[in-house]
Amino acid sequence: MLNLWMRTSALISLLVVVVMLGFLLQQSWPYWQHDGLNPLLSGDWYPYEHLFGLAAAIIGSFWAALIALAIAIPTGLAAAVMSTEILPGPWRSLMRSGMELLAGIPSVVYGLLGLWILLPLLQSNLHLLTGHNLLAAGLLLSVMVLPTIMVMTQDALCEVSSHQRDTAASLGMGWSARLWRVLLPQAWPGIRSGILLALGRALGETMAVMLVVGSMDRIPDPWYNLLAPAQTLTSRIGREIGESAFGSMHFSALMACGLLLALITITISMLAHIRSDKISVNRP
Amino acid sequence: MNTKKKITAIAAAAPQQVAAHDAGDISLHASRLSLALEGKNILRDISFSLPAQGINVLIGPSGAGKSTLLRCLNMLHTQWQGDLQIMGRDVRKWPDSEDGLRRTIGLIAQKPTLFPCSIQQNIVFGLSRKDRNHMPENRIKKVLKQAALWDEVKNRLHDQAATLSVGQQQRLCIARALMLSPNMLLLDEPTASLDPRSRQFIEASLLELSENMPVLCVTHDIEQAKRLGGKIIFMCDGRLIESGDSKLFFKHPNRIESREFLRWSVCDCS
Repeated sequence: MLNLWMRTSALISLLVVVVMLGFLLQQSWPYWQHDGLNPLLSGDWYPYEHLFGLAAAIIGSFWAALIALAIAIPTGLAAAVMSTEILPGPWRSLMRSGMELLAGIPSVVYGLLGLWILLPLLQSNLHLLTGHNLLAAGLLLSVMVLPTIMVMTQDALCEVSSHQRDTAASLGMGWSARLWRVLLPQAWPGIRSGILLALGRALGETMAVMLVVGSMDRIPDPWYNLLAPAQTLTSRIGREIGESAFGSMHFSALMACGLLLALITITISMLAHIRSDKISVNRP
Repeated sequence: MNTKKKITAIAAAAPQQVAAHDAGDISLHASRLSLALEGKNILRDISFSLPAQGINVLIGPSGAGKSTLLRCLNMLHTQWQGDLQIMGRDVRKWPDSEDGLRRTIGLIAQKPTLFPCSIQQNIVFGLSRKDRNHMPENRIKKVLKQAALWDEVKNRLHDQAATLSVGQQQRLCIARALMLSPNMLLLDEPTASLDPRSRQFIEASLLELSENMPVLCVTHDIEQAKRLGGKIIFMCDGRLIESGDSKLFFKHPNRIESREFLRWSVCDCS
């Protein structure tokens, strides 16, 4: 009976993913049928003119995620190394608890803090017309994904055996040599999983990003202008889904945004899992 | 005085002192070494010397503090008290810090610990980047021969180290330690989990190495201690009970704890 229950549960979990992807594909089908894959290359998103280019939102999503990771990876790694290798036990626990608390804060709260603190700061310090831009979204996301990277790096570092640490030390390797040649390489598979999960979260985050990114349906000009208001796939869906009529092309285009997002995050999660499996197989 | 009283009197006497040596003959001198971890005394007033070459066997029952003592000598434990001199220098004032000290003392653990890379990369793992990149092959060949491993790995230096048997892995650890040209070797039960053939290889290799440097080998295997010979240091419950020539120790142990250990391989001195 228990066996049947477990098998059924596993099957349902798998079915949920398949059904979800199937639903997104079905709802977005008119959109793909209408324009094929051309909208992936177009930045024009004017629903009233029936122009539904996805490029601006795709670029916006990747820029925001890249900024977030560029800040969160070095910070998260350094904090994890500090807490596992340098800080004494009580401080380590305190830091870990702090990170877990940070991970538990609802994203809308981050969005509100971004609105009240981050945007005015950016606006006044960078002399901008508005603080709503890709940089703000990236900075906010970096704080949100930091706990994922830090906690997973901490776990990965803790898994490096004391034998390996002692052996490296007994070979006269200094602290930094031990870090770069023993600890980080051996913890790397776990760190990589943390980074991929953080990337998934950064790409999929909606509410906080929607509040700070500016929601401008335009490819930044020039493309590397991070101080321009922009749009991401998630914020577009969040902002416009209520305005679109069910079954319309606008609705179908938003479903296409959802399908793209789901495919990207599922691919990233699968990559993270493949790496995790390899770690357990290869670990000496 | 009856026999029982005699034994009690011997047991109560101060631990046998190590004979004084000239500084040039001594590679390591420990004086009143003590260590407490988490409120528990692990080592208590350990004093001994190691000559400039030859094999020294540290024996004692499990929990005697043998492995901890090795970790103190290698500065993996630094909280100890007392004096420790290596090559006539105070280890606390070692010129290029603890890392430099560790390079001069090879420590081989009980469990062979290799890094997830090739056999050759493992051998040169402790070297600086420059030395790793420009390491002549005959140097690698030399240390592998010293560790009695060359014949078995000469055609597979680029294979993963994990593909070696446990006995070969332990000899690879010895080769890796030798690559740093240490002034002494410390080994913590290096053959504990090995088959007799691998044990024989390692013992032969240690005896050969001890001709040029002091080797301190921890074991609780009395037969192995007899085979290795040299100097015996017997520890029990964190104390150095007796030390001296191997043949004398096994023939006429001075202390009741030593006799108990030799008879039953256990000691009840705690």
